[in-house]
Amino acid sequence: MAGEVKRIGEYEWELPVDYRPGMRVPARFFLSEALRKDLESGALEQLANVATLPGIVRHSLAMPDIHWGYGFPIGGVAAFSVDSGIISPGGVGFDINCGVRLLSTPLRAAELSNRRELVERLFQVVPTGVGAKSDRRLSGKDLEEVMVRGAAWAVEHGYGVPRDLERCEEGGAMAGADPSAVSQKARQRGLPQSGTLGSGNHFLEIQEVKEIYDPAAAAAMGVAQGGVCVMIHCGSRGLGHQVCTDHLKALEAATRRYGISLPDRQLACAPVNSPEGKAYYGAMAASANYAWANRQMITDMTRKVLVKMFGIEYGEMPLIYDVAHNVAKMEEHLVDGKQVPLCVHRKGATRAFGPGSPGIPKECAAVGQPVIIPGSMGTSSFLLRGTALAMEKTFGSTCHGAGRVTSRTQAKKNMRGQQVQARLAQAGILVRAQSYESIAEEAPEVYKPSLEVVRVVDAVGISKLVARLEPMGVIKG
Amino acid sequence: MPYEILPHTADVRIRVTASGLPSLFAEAARAMAAIMAPGCVPAPAVTREVTVEAEDLEGLLHDFLSELLYLFDAEGLLLCDCRVSLEGTRFLTATCRGEEFSREKHAGGAEIKGVSFSGLRIYKEGEDDVFEIIFDV
Repeated sequence: MAGEVKRIGEYEWELPVDYRPGMRVPARFFLSEALRKDLESGALEQLANVATLPGIVRHSLAMPDIHWGYGFPIGGVAAFSVDSGIISPGGVGFDINCGVRLLSTPLRAAELSNRRELVERLFQVVPTGVGAKSDRRLSGKDLEEVMVRGAAWAVEHGYGVPRDLERCEEGGAMAGADPSAVSQKARQRGLPQSGTLGSGNHFLEIQEVKEIYDPAAAAAMGVAQGGVCVMIHCGSRGLGHQVCTDHLKALEAATRRYGISLPDRQLACAPVNSPEGKAYYGAMAASANYAWANRQMITDMTRKVLVKMFGIEYGEMPLIYDVAHNVAKMEEHLVDGKQVPLCVHRKGATRAFGPGSPGIPKECAAVGQPVIIPGSMGTSSFLLRGTALAMEKTFGSTCHGAGRVTSRTQAKKNMRGQQVQARLAQAGILVRAQSYESIAEEAPEVYKPSLEVVRVVDAVGISKLVARLEPMGVIKG
Repeated sequence: MPYEILPHTADVRIRVTASGLPSLFAEAARAMAAIMAPGCVPAPAVTREVTVEAEDLEGLLHDFLSELLYLFDAEGLLLCDCRVSLEGTRFLTATCRGEEFSREKHAGGAEIKGVSFSGLRIYKEGEDDVFEIIFDV
């Protein structure tokens, strides 16, 4: 029998530790009244499940885009003691380092009179959709290097400029990657897919900066009112998916061996410092690095199209930032007055480090880490900044996106892709996809309003709004 | 219909019904292929033998589908017509037929990233064997 959900602030809610047997800590989540009506009981159950895991520190947390996933809820954040806690692929997901990057351009929205051609050309050069293969197939040796060096490998091979790396979380490559923990199967899935976007909610979008909320932070990050930006959302493709599958199996055996009892098999885990836990971490970091190289290669394709069409310089399109939103990281956080090393899982959540934190770009040191929140196709995306309050409340984390309210099946029943495409075109948003089904599945109304999600994190203070971007053209799987 | 879609906002959750475990496993494979790449017509020329070992029946079904997903991603093989034999609850062999994936012929599907253990259940309903699962898409 589940206990009561307690309201502890205007936007803060708690599942007390006695909400369900086995919880080691309370769970906390952030929601407005408007978002609360879409909260699924399955998501709360998953949030409580996370609170039962060994070594969890302070709270099992969920951001306002919380929804029902597998293992952790989507929007879930949990930190585990490195000494007594666990690491779990259920807290990362299949798409390791699914993430978002934002690229600026010197173009103004008014200069994009041939937007249809731009969307078409991008669609031709960026492989998208189910079964898409890359034009540049990596060799086995390349892949080995990609898994260790991530975006740096891509930059050295001509897919970017060194400054791009300064503008990626972790510099575009996590330390601790261990390719020997990545199976042959995972490599075979990854080899043909580097530099591909994928399908589902992944996209590449041309956007206009429509509103600046925080001029100082916007200037530090490099965005200006009316400027054209490009947002890229994708992850580690089949390589990361297979790593999750492989290690889940290995960790299931480990879970039994270490005598950990689990409420959900997808939460299979092992102590952070066990051989099984370390192997998963090493393989996960290798997959995360593959994802950073992947986004870097797609950035290069995009820049080349823009150079050709608008006669601008490659170097005039600096990266604003690149964030991971499905990952587990080793970080130090202040717990009971002491800096302690923790394994922080973010599953559909974004790192949002505050001003002065280690590992954020020097230009942003005073304002906080840039946080990129993609909207759904046809709705606003946002740029925010990390805060000191996020460091206190959420281990430096915030939301990652809008969160679905309608299933893909229901979306396809309710709408036809052609109509959604026509309606968006009337609103000035051109959409190009491999199939009409994927347009219907990703129609704007199947998501929670992204504005409401970011309004809540801004009001709570775990990140603050910097700018709003509106879509002009989208390519999808 | 051998499979139905159950409510789940983020991913694809399905229920498969069949008579007997071997045909349940075969129907599960057919359902996964239909979600990823609709319109698979099995051809005798595209045949694969699949062998899986796991700790229990749920694990076996999970690993069987994960193996087919791997073959789809790595080799472009869409395997939709499987003859499955089980040895107890921990070992399985299957002969799977299908066709080479074509973006033109099999358009409109959803990329499945992985087969989730959350919500994976195999149970009896009257005479039927039933299986529920969530695919991460």
